[in-house]
Formats: sequence, C-alpha cells, structure tokens
Amino acid sequence: MKLFASNPSPVKILSAVFSILIVLAAPSFALAQQKVSHRYPAGKNVRFELKNVTGTITVETWDRDEIAVTALMDNRKATINPRITEGGLVIDIVGDNRGLAGNVGDINFKIQLPARSSVDLETRSGQINVHNVQGDLVRAHIWTSGDIQMLGVNASRVFASNVEGNIFFDGEFVAGGTYEFKSGRGTISLQLPASCGFHVVATSSVKRISMGPFWDDRRMKLLSDGRRITGDVGDGRASVTITNYQGDIQFFRR
Amino acid sequence: MNCENYQILLSDFVDGTLTADDCARLELHLSSCPDCTDTGNDLRVIVDYCRGQRGQYDAVPNERAMWLRISNLIEAEQGSSNQVQPPAEPGWLFRVMHRSWQVSLPQLASIVGAVVVVVALGTGFGVHELWVKGPVTIVQNAPEVPIRERHRQQEEMIAYWNQRVDLNKARWSQQMRDTFDRNVGVIDAAVDDSMKQLTVNPHDPVSEDILNDALNDKVALLKEFSDY
Repeated sequence: MKLFASNPSPVKILSAVFSILIVLAAPSFALAQQKVSHRYPAGKNVRFELKNVTGTITVETWDRDEIAVTALMDNRKATINPRITEGGLVIDIVGDNRGLAGNVGDINFKIQLPARSSVDLETRSGQINVHNVQGDLVRAHIWTSGDIQMLGVNASRVFASNVEGNIFFDGEFVAGGTYEFKSGRGTISLQLPASCGFHVVATSSVKRISMGPFWDDRRMKLLSDGRRITGDVGDGRASVTITNYQGDIQFFRR
Repeated sequence: MNCENYQILLSDFVDGTLTADDCARLELHLSSCPDCTDTGNDLRVIVDYCRGQRGQYDAVPNERAMWLRISNLIEAEQGSSNQVQPPAEPGWLFRVMHRSWQVSLPQLASIVGAVVVVVALGTGFGVHELWVKGPVTIVQNAPEVPIRERHRQQEEMIAYWNQRVDLNKARWSQQMRDTFDRNVGVIDAAVDDSMKQLTVNPHDPVSEDILNDALNDKVALLKEFSDY
C-alpha cells in the first residue's frame, strides 16, 4: 500500500507532520489545566464573594438553593479554598495563593447561585459577567483591564468599575437604589426600560455623554462645558453616578 | 485608691483579665465616678474597634500631615505643663492670668447675662449691617488647601506605594507588568488632563472631582498591587 499516491512535496510532508503534532499536543494543553467543581448548600438570600487574580468570572442564576462553583485553573499549583460563612460563601484567590508570588495564572470561574443572591466580585484583570442576579448587591470591580457585563440585573445596589474596558449594564433601577459605574478608558453603556426613574450625575472628561431617549431639556443640565450632565429621569428616585475619565457614556432604551 | 490607680486597672478590666477582687473594687468605683466610667467606655470602644478590624486598617489620607499634627499637640501639651516661673515683679496682666478665680452662683449668673447681652447686641448690629449693605462678597482666593497642594500631598503617598510595587514587579509576568503600566498610564492621563483644565479654570468642580477620583484610584491600585 502506498502512503502517498505520488511523490509528496516537502510542503505536504511538513503540513502532515504539523497536523499530527497539533493533534497530539491538544490533549496535553487540556491536561495542563485543572478543573475544580463543588456545590455548597445555600439559602435564597445568600451572599457570594470572590476575589480573583486573573481570569474570567461568570455568575449565573438558577432555581436551586445551592451555589455551584466551577473553576478552570491554568496553574495546577494554584489553591482554591472556599469558606462558608454565616451569610454565604467567600473565595479569596489572592489570600489563598500568597506563596505563589504573582504566578497564580488565569482562573476562570463559573458560578451558579440563587437569583436573590448578593454578589461581590473582584479581579485584578479579566472579564466579569453577571446574569439575572436580583439580590440586594451586585458589585463587580476590575483593578486594571477587563470588560464588565451585567445582564438582567435587578438589584438595589450596583457598582461596576474598571480602568480599561467596557461596562455594559442591562437591567432595572430600583426606587431608592444606588448605582455607580466607573471606567478609566472604555465605553459605559446602560440599557434601561423606558419606565426607569433616576437622578443621574454623569461625568466624562472627554465630553462624550449621550443620554439618548432619556434626555430632557427641562430637567437636565450640562455643566463644565458638557463634561457633566445632571438631572432627573422619571420619578428620579434611584441615584445613578457614572464617571468615565477618557471614554463614552451611553444610555439606551430597552 | 484614687482615680489614677483605678484607671491603671481599666485595660485589664476591658480585656477581662482582672482578678475578681480588683474587678469588684473597680466596678464599685466606676458606679460613683463618671470620669473613670467615660475613660473605661472610650477604652472599650477602641479595643472593640481594633478587634473588629483584626489589625487591618485603611491608610491615613495624609500620613505625614497627621504625624505633624500629633507632634504639634504633644509639644503644645508639654509646653503647657511646664511650670510658669513668676517674674521678680509681676505685672497686673500676670497677676490676672495666674490668679485663682472663685465666683458665687449669682456672680456667675451676672457674667453669663452680660455675655448674652453683648452677643445679642453684636448679632443685631451685624444683621443690620448685612441688611443695609447686602451680603458679603466671598473672595475667590479664600484661605483653603489649594488643589495643587492636595495633589502634591497625594503624590507623596503615591511615591511611597510606587516603591512598594517596584519591589515586587520583577516577579510578575510580562503580561501583568504591561497591563499594570498601561492602566497606571490611563489614570495618569486623567490626572494630567484635570491639572490642565484646572490651570485654565482653577475652580472647575468637575476637574477637581476627576483629579481627586483619579489620584484616589491610583493610590488604591498601587496598594492592591503592592503585595502581589
């Protein structure tokens, strides 16, 4: 049996060799990462705290009274030591891995928890996604670079901040709630229902603030050459503060 | 035992390490001495706070200025505790200032009444003047800590944390170093931009807010990465 129908060209041989190497190498990449999964019993109003170093954090809700933590770690030496507290669950990767001296590597988290939970998430870099959380508090803080995406969030206190990266919020503002969004250089986008009522203080030093359909000549004013907009939308009962050093602020109607 | 001796026992009392006898005596004293009770309460608040914080405290906004104030207070107290030597021939001012005054209740009431009358007359005169002449114009350069001075103070703190970060930076991955430097650059750009705006308009509240925010963000970022 002939392996090749005719004399193969060097290019074909090289391609075949590389293909074989890639196929052989793929499982070893997969093996290099470690996956950890665990479930913890929880009440309906649980508080979940996570302090990561680098990597993506995704928080989703489900209808079970438990928290599921799935972590995919680049560095097999990294330690995850969740602590069950009176109020919920705390994972502190920074504290758990002080001995690794800056070599913790990416840890990608997927968290599933009850919808009425409060979540407090923090990472030094990486993306944070929060979906459908409706507890008291949703906080997402990225110390350096990374996008924050909050979809279907309906909490009375929401804080989202990063230095470099976009922030996208799609949710509702509760009357009397507090909402703060802050970025150094990225676009902050808020997508809200038309019925939303809030008092806004939006500041962008590059003067790129678009209130979109929420702009109201009579109830809003521009300050400092348009670098700040303040005013009320609807009943004005939620307090919204948005600060962007060098990026855009945009409002959209859902 | 006098108050001073009882106050020595307060620390052990708050810690719960006092012997039963001393504890009973101290409690008896506290029930009749409001000063020692206040001192004990203050001590308990401080100890509870320290226990609550578990040794982790936020950095003081301006450490150097705080230490300066403490040092001034100590010096002032030391100065006031020094015994005043009477001059060979004391003048009337010295005699008045160093005389022990004792007044009866009617005398005290008369003094208080006189003070109230003087203050009322002064206030009435002031209000009249304001009514006639209109409100006083606020001078733009009122004495306050200038923004540039605050900036300079925060820069000192930033320099301190920068040194701490630099000690660890060599251990970071190249990617983390690049990310960190890039992000510090973003914050620095916001600081520079605000300073330029404040040069043009020194009382622009938006620029002041952004400058303060950006400097606080930078300190927080450096602190976070100082032990990384």
